[in-house]
Amino acid sequence: MSFDDSIRDTEDDVNAALLLRYATGDAAAARLLVTRLTPRVFGHAMRVLGDGGEAEDVSQEAMMRLWRVAPDWRSGEAKVSTWLYRVVANLCIDRLRKRKPGMALDEVAEPADPTEGVEAQMQQSARRDALQAALDDLPDRQRQAVVLRHIDGLANPEIAAILGIGVEAVESLTARGKRALEKALGDQREALGYTT
Amino acid sequence: MTNPDADPMEALFAEARANPPDPPDELMARVLADARAQQSVIAAPQRSWRLLWRGIGGLPGLSGLAAATVVGFWIGVAPPEALPDLAGQMISGDEAALLQSAPELTAFGWDIEEG
Repeated sequence: MSFDDSIRDTEDDVNAALLLRYATGDAAAARLLVTRLTPRVFGHAMRVLGDGGEAEDVSQEAMMRLWRVAPDWRSGEAKVSTWLYRVVANLCIDRLRKRKPGMALDEVAEPADPTEGVEAQMQQSARRDALQAALDDLPDRQRQAVVLRHIDGLANPEIAAILGIGVEAVESLTARGKRALEKALGDQREALGYTT
Repeated sequence: MTNPDADPMEALFAEARANPPDPPDELMARVLADARAQQSVIAAPQRSWRLLWRGIGGLPGLSGLAAATVVGFWIGVAPPEALPDLAGQMISGDEAALLQSAPELTAFGWDIEEG
């Protein structure tokens, strides 16, 4: 087990303990769970949906489902974070299916135009916008897998459990997604501040 | 630290990981309000169980209740010699034996007092 995996396991033990305390009415546990988990949930939804309003709705709904399941939660059967990511991933997929084609890209901030001033394009925000725009162009499942693997930093078996697919399918999705991102961003390498 | 020139994609991912989008304060407040409201819903039935638990006297009370139930059941199944075997007579349908047992049941004189 890697150091990162070990830290994640410890964090999940803490989350499970907090959830048990939450179910007994502990107000401090409620606050801690909100501050520990909501940013992760929102961050994932934001990357996958590319829309702040929708990401907020999905985050609130996912957290509400966690509160509801708390009294029946059994420690050791599932990781809180894996369970929560699965809920968020499914809510995101539901949202994406309801969207009309092209809707997401209209609502996302425009990525920086590579033909504009080089200094501005080298800004961190420009790189983030470019990455988000490239992510938005990926097929839904590829985008989810890439975000879970490369941005949320989860291991392939956990991603497989979250998306309900095999580990090999995860490897394939993330590899294809990363190649597609490289291709989409390849033309902007210099503009994004990379010299080679 | 990732060298962006060596692996630009990994550098972009690392940058994204290091700068996650901040959830708006309003969202955090709404999620916390949901959490507290749901805690009240969860706590309500738990309070009822707690009252019942306290009512029977907690674990000692429950132990006494269980012991009394077992002893009562056993007296019914295998009564001491001084008591009539009502359960056995009822199961076997022995009406004569039941009638014979009747005086024992009226031994306290309740029937006389009633007139």
